[in-house]
Amino acid sequence: MLRRTALAAASLLAAGLLVLSACSGGGGSSAPTTPGEPDPDASVAIRLVLEPSNLDIRETAGSALDQILVDNIYQGLVARTPEQDIVPALASDWTVSPDGVTYTFTLREGVTFHDGQELTPQDVVWSLTTRRDSPQWRDSARLANVTSITAEGQDITLTLSEPDSSLLWNLTGRAGIVLKEGDTVDYKTKTNGTGPFVLTQWRQGDSITFERNDAYWGEASGAAEIVFDYIPDNQAALNAALAGEVDVVTGFDANLKEQVEQDGDFALVLGRSTDKGTLAFNQTSGPLADKRVRQAIRQAIDHDAIIEALASGQTQYGPIPELDPGYEELSDVAPYDPEAAKELLTEAGYEDDLELTLTIPNFYSTTIPQILVSDLDEVGITLEVDSVDFTTWLTDVYTNHDYDLSFVLHTEARDFENWANPDYYFTYDNAEVQELYAQSLAATDESEAADLLEKAARIVSEDAAADWLYNGASVVAIGRNVVGMPTINVNERLNAAEIAQSNG
Amino acid sequence: MIRYTLTRFALLLLGLLVASVLIFVTLRVLPGDIAHLIAGVGSTPEQQDAIRERLGLGRPLPEQYLTWIGGLFRGDLGTSLLTGTSVVDELAEKAEVTVPLGILSLTVAVVISVPLGVLSAMRRGRAAGTGLSVGAQTLAAVPVVWAGMMLVVVFAVWLGWLPAQGFPRSGWSDPWAALRSLILPALTIGIVEGAMLLRFVRSATLQAVGQDFVRTAAAKGLTRDQALIRHGLPVVGLSVITVLGLQVAGIIVGAVVIEQLFSLPGIGRMLVADVAARDLPKVQGELLALTGFVLIVGFVVDLVHRVIDPRQREAP
Repeated sequence: MLRRTALAAASLLAAGLLVLSACSGGGGSSAPTTPGEPDPDASVAIRLVLEPSNLDIRETAGSALDQILVDNIYQGLVARTPEQDIVPALASDWTVSPDGVTYTFTLREGVTFHDGQELTPQDVVWSLTTRRDSPQWRDSARLANVTSITAEGQDITLTLSEPDSSLLWNLTGRAGIVLKEGDTVDYKTKTNGTGPFVLTQWRQGDSITFERNDAYWGEASGAAEIVFDYIPDNQAALNAALAGEVDVVTGFDANLKEQVEQDGDFALVLGRSTDKGTLAFNQTSGPLADKRVRQAIRQAIDHDAIIEALASGQTQYGPIPELDPGYEELSDVAPYDPEAAKELLTEAGYEDDLELTLTIPNFYSTTIPQILVSDLDEVGITLEVDSVDFTTWLTDVYTNHDYDLSFVLHTEARDFENWANPDYYFTYDNAEVQELYAQSLAATDESEAADLLEKAARIVSEDAAADWLYNGASVVAIGRNVVGMPTINVNERLNAAEIAQSNG
Repeated sequence: MIRYTLTRFALLLLGLLVASVLIFVTLRVLPGDIAHLIAGVGSTPEQQDAIRERLGLGRPLPEQYLTWIGGLFRGDLGTSLLTGTSVVDELAEKAEVTVPLGILSLTVAVVISVPLGVLSAMRRGRAAGTGLSVGAQTLAAVPVVWAGMMLVVVFAVWLGWLPAQGFPRSGWSDPWAALRSLILPALTIGIVEGAMLLRFVRSATLQAVGQDFVRTAAAKGLTRDQALIRHGLPVVGLSVITVLGLQVAGIIVGAVVIEQLFSLPGIGRMLVADVAARDLPKVQGELLALTGFVLIVGFVVDLVHRVIDPRQREAP
């Protein structure tokens, strides 16, 4: 009897091994369902990676908040589309004076907050003024040169001390969020906005649930309910998808394409993004203060191999990604050339004896550090990898500038300003770049502003101020019966209003 | 007995006090702070300082410690800096997942290890006994994560019987759904812990077989197996209870890993997230609660042991 049990156990184990090996092959595939009629009562479950630490849109940093709360719950006068265009939101339209210092917005009528209170022009004035005057609120400095914010009837007027070509864009983010004046909502765990969704539940460490806002001023959302499931592990997310527990997987690993598509229920989409895998150099002192060393590191890294290893994204040789104004293809500045890198190192006096430390937050995969270690080893640089949690990174690297090399995926769109800020952790200080950036801000013409940024970006790249390892893709696996899922820059913003699901 | 209980209780309180100091100090040694996290990338040192001041992080450490301990006497474990919710409430909510998970895991471990451990001891030297013992060795060496993955692949992805991850958002209002989502995680912890326990039960049983009173009973005409079951097993039971007390700590550690793996909103996952966010008041409350739980289990096990085991009663 027992002998039989032992045998059974052994055969179960063997069967398990077989299953595991079979998993890497193709599974049974059913024909993909064609989307039928959208179901207005559908609940769509979306896998996300990073959960917000709290929901305070006023002062808690982190793209995890912007990703789900901006557009869906909170709105500003203007919004941005996934294609990065600026469109009306709480303002039905706006005008800009020819000298670029007066912006006049027409506020929509009949807009209510989720708790039923009416949106008034005074709410807008109060929100923008408080944002500007409260340094602890996020992006407060972005409104620094707005000298007056007034309302007359439904017209809101912003007057600037000087033109600011980034103002409208900034108003599509945290700087422009409109809250109810004097609201008593506990912003840390609750929300009260004007968007197409209402927050119904936040189960910390698990999920955040939105429900359709039936009193929404605009077009009603496609789904009745959106559930954001926080599943940090990619393998667990894959299992959840295959078991039918989530309908969309964001922040996915493109190397798992075959496995997630094996049953035909999902399709993997690679959307563009402004995610920049940034290898920062601390150039205040030491070997990295020498431009030749920085250039050598850039030329020692095989960027195409990185793209291949990630199975997604594209190369990027300067600070501005393709989606942003001012992009230019800069591969000629630092082509992959280990021999040239060695020569530069010899010239700088570091032949085979340079030791550097890479500080990297521990939620990034080990792929990047592995490639860096082996590429730099090729040219005689010994790289030690120090994997720390994000809070430690914020203290050591971001605040104290205590590092040699650092890797972080900067997701924010249009964030060139960091290269014009000598106090930023990039430790890059170039007067010409700062001047060009200031001119770009002051430009009243969009294409002129972009040209100036382009000039500045080339200088940043030629100075080897940092290396851009890759321009990431938004890797999203979408259920066949889901429509309207945005795929561009999903790590930064996920506007869920048009997502719908059919019963198919 | 009363004196023993009081002494043992004093020891428990002392343990808690030492733990509270250790926890408090260790957490303050961690690099990084919550003000940086809240202010985030794009913030200035001034903004970070303002947040630190508002959260009361600038107060002297002894003062912070005493405030915390003072609260404990009112049943207040502290408040989260990030969400403003009370640690007691958070623990209560997450315990809905972790406590049933722990009980299930323990049950699985006992159900696997006790009968099989006794059997393998009784069949020592025969194929079945050897097979069991080798099987247990193998299973005990399996990493928890791998075991979990295997179970998910077979029962969730392949057969579709059980959920692959997560916990119903409605909690226990749908008991069946909640239970189903805990089966695979509990099996994962239970099989690995059970394999370790199995070896222990086996050696405890073998020891019991050699005891005089079992041999005497056998001499009185019972078969060896009967004698063992009637007279030896209670002794084995005693040792198992002691080890189970120790296993509780192992199960808590297992829960931390497993809750990450299965995306379960339990105490383990909360602890990991809170440490990452440097929500120190919350972490110290959680850790003290867990430590207290383990210490109390030890206290109860010791008392039970003393009541049951006649040999211990005479000891001071």
